[in-house]
Amino acid sequence: MDELEILKRDWNKQGERNKLSVADIYPMLRKKSSSIVKTLFYISVAELVFWILVNSIPYLTSDSYRKKLDEVYGNDLLFNWLTIFSYVVIILFIYLLYKSYKSISVTDSSKKLMESILRTRKIVKYYVLYNLIMAGVSVVIGFYFAFNHDPELADQISHFSDKQYIIFTIIVVLAIGLFILIIWLFYKLIYGFLLKRLNKNYAELKRLEV
Amino acid sequence: MNKELEHSFVELLEKHQNIAHKVCRLYTNNYDAHNDLFQEITIQLWKAYPKFRGDSKFSTWMYRVALNTAITLYRKSKRSIKTQDFDGVEFKIKTEAYDDTEEQQLKVLYQAVHQLNDIEKALVFLYLEDKDYREISETLGISEVNARVKMNRIKTKLKTILNP
Repeated sequence: MDELEILKRDWNKQGERNKLSVADIYPMLRKKSSSIVKTLFYISVAELVFWILVNSIPYLTSDSYRKKLDEVYGNDLLFNWLTIFSYVVIILFIYLLYKSYKSISVTDSSKKLMESILRTRKIVKYYVLYNLIMAGVSVVIGFYFAFNHDPELADQISHFSDKQYIIFTIIVVLAIGLFILIIWLFYKLIYGFLLKRLNKNYAELKRLEV
Repeated sequence: MNKELEHSFVELLEKHQNIAHKVCRLYTNNYDAHNDLFQEITIQLWKAYPKFRGDSKFSTWMYRVALNTAITLYRKSKRSIKTQDFDGVEFKIKTEAYDDTEEQQLKVLYQAVHQLNDIEKALVFLYLEDKDYREISETLGISEVNARVKMNRIKTKLKTILNP
């Protein structure tokens, strides 16, 4: 006899052993969900806030930094365009994330549900990637402007020997690289941990279709 | 959400709770984990309930939400730390003789099913619920042919686990 047929005979008795009353169920509706979608939502909001803060806190809290930035970049067209561009991108990401979260439905097929969650995660990933690239670009542009517009720094650099100049460049590049690597690993760890099971199950469903 | 909606939902869930318990039985190994998953399924059902139109049966709708919660959304909470297993001897199948008595047979069978992966368990669940392959394929999002092929493979796999 088929093993599953034996199991079937006992199958419908499951609920009888754990039966809950209406009074047991009511309080369950008040409890908080611990689903991965909720966690993903919190992480993405935290990421949006984090990168907005990283970009704006030094400007808002330090008078001398703000003054210096306004002095150096204040009248620069490229800088103004970059600022506008970064706000547009943030708004775009918020919109895409909102739309993506709305499309996650627990009543979809399992495969579609997994795809919606992975798509949402991908949007967050692109947002992080965008910020990392922008951080890199900003540092490069920052150095370019500092060399050309900040007389104090330009004076210091001009006293560098060739060797010192090379060492200085290498340190800057390594520091940027390390910063990007740490952030990237941090995200890999968070999402790897959170979506491990989902990724495994999605891979299994995809394998069935091959 | 209004009281009337809440009341109708609780009544329906109380009536069909068996479905959620069966999903929990397949995907968890102990009582704490069972209760934890049941709690999450309840929340997901309740969140989705306002969109339940009633054009499908509540039970059919519930299968999908319960399974999706178990294989996709559920994240083990801290409450589900491992306590006493249902059978006390989970995953020790190879050292046990395959007894003919029904009770022993069932215990061994449940242990064997627990060794399947999440997707295989989902197929087993729907199969045990007497769902046809069209419904199985729609619930999981795979083709009907693949659902049938996979189900046959699972049966073979179970045989292998039971008779190593």
